[in-house]
Amino acid sequence: MHYLIVGNGVGGMEAALGLRRRDGGARITIVADEHDHFYSRPALMYVFAGQTSLRDTEPYDRALYERLRFERVRGRVAALDAAGKSVRLDEGRTIGYDRLLLAVGSTGRPAPWPGAAGPGLHYFVTLRDLEGLDRDARPGRHAVVVGGGLIGVEVAEILRHRGLKVTFVIRENWYFPLALDEREAAMVAEHLGRHGVDVRLGVNVQEVRRGEDGSLRGVRLSPAARAAPPTGAAEVPCDLLVSAIGVVPNTAFLAGSGLALSKGGAIEVDERLRAGGPEVWAAGDCANVTWADGSRRPEQLWYTARDQGRVAAASMLGDPATYIRGAWYNSAKFFDLEYTTAGWVPVRLDWDNTPLDPGPDLREWFQRAPTGFDSQRVVGRGDRVVGFNMVGRRWNHEVLLDWIAARRTLEFVLDHLAEAQFDEELSPRWRRQGPAALT
Amino acid sequence: MQAGLMDTYHRPLRSRKAVAWVLCAALVAFYLLVYYTDVLEGPARRLRLSGKWTLYSVLYTLAMVVGGAFFLRRHGNSPYQRVRTVTVVSVQVVLAFALPLVMKVLGHQEYYFSYFWPLKIEYFYPSVILHQPFLIVLYSFLGSLVAFPLLGYFLGKRFYCSWICGCGGLANTAGDSFRHLSDKSTGAWRFEKVSVYTVLAAAVITTVIVGLNWAVGKDHPAFSAFGFGVQRWYGLVVGGFFSGVLGVGLYPLMGTRVWCRFACPMAAVLGLLQKFGRFRITVKKDMCIACGNCSTYCEMGIDVRAYAMANEDVKRAACVGCGMCAHVCPRGVLKLESRPVRFKGGEPIRVYAVDL
Ligand SMILES: Cc1cc2nc3c(=O)[nH]c(=O)nc-3n(C[C@H](O)[C@H](O)[C@H](O)COP(=O)(O)OP(=O)(O)OC[C@H]3O[C@@H](n4cnc5c(N)ncnc54)[C@H](O)[C@@H]3O)c2cc1C
Ligand code: SF4
Repeated sequence: MHYLIVGNGVGGMEAALGLRRRDGGARITIVADEHDHFYSRPALMYVFAGQTSLRDTEPYDRALYERLRFERVRGRVAALDAAGKSVRLDEGRTIGYDRLLLAVGSTGRPAPWPGAAGPGLHYFVTLRDLEGLDRDARPGRHAVVVGGGLIGVEVAEILRHRGLKVTFVIRENWYFPLALDEREAAMVAEHLGRHGVDVRLGVNVQEVRRGEDGSLRGVRLSPAARAAPPTGAAEVPCDLLVSAIGVVPNTAFLAGSGLALSKGGAIEVDERLRAGGPEVWAAGDCANVTWADGSRRPEQLWYTARDQGRVAAASMLGDPATYIRGAWYNSAKFFDLEYTTAGWVPVRLDWDNTPLDPGPDLREWFQRAPTGFDSQRVVGRGDRVVGFNMVGRRWNHEVLLDWIAARRTLEFVLDHLAEAQFDEELSPRWRRQGPAALT
Repeated sequence: MQAGLMDTYHRPLRSRKAVAWVLCAALVAFYLLVYYTDVLEGPARRLRLSGKWTLYSVLYTLAMVVGGAFFLRRHGNSPYQRVRTVTVVSVQVVLAFALPLVMKVLGHQEYYFSYFWPLKIEYFYPSVILHQPFLIVLYSFLGSLVAFPLLGYFLGKRFYCSWICGCGGLANTAGDSFRHLSDKSTGAWRFEKVSVYTVLAAAVITTVIVGLNWAVGKDHPAFSAFGFGVQRWYGLVVGGFFSGVLGVGLYPLMGTRVWCRFACPMAAVLGLLQKFGRFRITVKKDMCIACGNCSTYCEMGIDVRAYAMANEDVKRAACVGCGMCAHVCPRGVLKLESRPVRFKGGEPIRVYAVDL
């Protein structure tokens, strides 16, 4: 049996490990065009900052491929012949397979603004992006970072550290409304401000200004729809423009392959992660899967790519394995502020700044410590707790999810919350300041 | 990110470039001079110090105090690191520097209250025992044989290696910018397991031989010569060459805990106790993003990330509990703990309902 895996990211690597664990004799080939070794994409910022080397971000020793007999092909797949069971590399060579896994991940969503394309425009998703940004990001320069998500804040942090002036342009009325409410976002924005980031909320990039020679001059900002408080137009001069407005699947090469793709370009898969073609599977950032709310989108997370890779391996081996998205959790860092979320937390603001109604039986408990940046939000439905959103400390999501699964009441949870604290030892113990009442 | 650690790989001194080799050579040369020559006696007298060892002690303590300030600037945002660093530097200043000095000035034989057998092997030699007051001997024996095993079992070896010991203290203060240079390979791990327990065995055997020599050496001149030989060689090789010349000399190339990891007999004993004791690094399930910060900054060369990715708590004899892996982890995955239970929340859950 010849398993071919396109993609050496976490999805592809987990699948390869899963296949090898169960099938010692199989031929396993991994094709990838980015790096010879599996590395951690979320660690790109540490490499940029010189906090780790690229090699430090490779989770396995380099002998792994040889030890587990993973054949490696460095190259870019240009086309898939699903009927003929082969892929063609852009250099012309074809590679046949018995079973194929597409774990091709994603790249930065192309900047859509007039004048954007050209020198000075950057993304921060791949090693090539990292090299380009590293070359261009010189101290004293001015960067505009667009996109109020997690990659945007990471880019703002590393550029500030390197001594650039950073303007952070966000279309929504507050930072990261997908995960934060207005109070939490205000706290984070204040923290970013202390680190010297100029945060502009409720504005869009209208146009990118370039000189005669094509060099980047600046961006023109215009008020976003329903900006509140209302914003005005502004010119921001800059030497660098980083677009961090999301990612799109690396699936352009699949056009004409017969595989079904979603409108956004993600590969449609069933619950066994089988893609439309015979003997083709897909996992990770590039796969269109069903979410808990029934919608179909790709899950662009390390954790889900990892788990999908595992399920894909089992499925490719013939097991009736299914991918069911479990309880939601995530963690991140906004400069120095740690963020943990678990369970269901309502989104309060849509991408176009329309307020979203979280439903009638939703109740919330919120506390922000009187000093510092430290808040907890416990979300309840009726009297049971369904979600947590915590900024500024470490929390054990296992405990939080356990309470949700056990249908704990708010009283119970607030009485025990300190037990879920996961801060370093000798950190001050968390305390409840107000009564345990939901609003 | 960790403000103090950014740019580590952009600095020649911290990434094994030529300056690092020069510093290494300078440190090795300095230690060779201190241990095996009397060159430093002159400068010591000129500074009105009683001898080269006092000068060495002054320099060492100074390095720890200045290094401690440097460390706090880098990692002082962590309460654990704050308390730990203030403690280990204070122990050095008071117990390993001021107190022995006062004793010496008062005409007593000096005693380093923060060092114990088997690290300070002489403290179990009859020649030392007989020259110390009873209370100090009691302190030394209770420390080595009662307090340390108990503390090692309940708190982990960190109570000594990261909170009291001067070797660890220098590593975690003046040496902090070299911690990422430790060798993470499995080969190094295999070597460490052989070397550290070999030195421990050598320490125990040397102590026994020296004791026997004291008891029966007078009647057996051949054994006596052998006994003094063993004692001298242990001192030269382990006490001088391993702990000083290599232990500190290799900071700029192999990281700060070369001695602690590959050779310290005290770390070996405490490590065994720790392995069966309560201390562990708890791993938050399925939250690791494999970034590698923890493994990179582990000065003992433990591949912490491998444990985090496998959802396994870290329980390793080598871990000195410096706490840096937990501190640098950007996803708060790790927590040093020595309390018996974690939480009363109930059964640990499987975060993903993956049906495999
Ligand atoms: C800066 C940054 C920070 C992030 N931080 C986090 C975080 O903190 N937490 C989190 O959960 N997620 C984070 N993510 C998202 C996470 O990294 C991704 O969801 C995850 O890496 C996806 O894994 P994957 O295996 O699907 O794809 P990828 O890791 O993208 O791997 C894709 C692989 O496919 C190869 N490939 C693509 N196209 C071709 C082709 N045509 N031919 C050959 N090879 C090809 C590439 O070379 C690569 O090896 C972050 C992402 C970025 C960019
Ligand atoms: S445990 Fe933390 S520091 Fe270590 S690899 Fe995982 S996320 Fe990174």
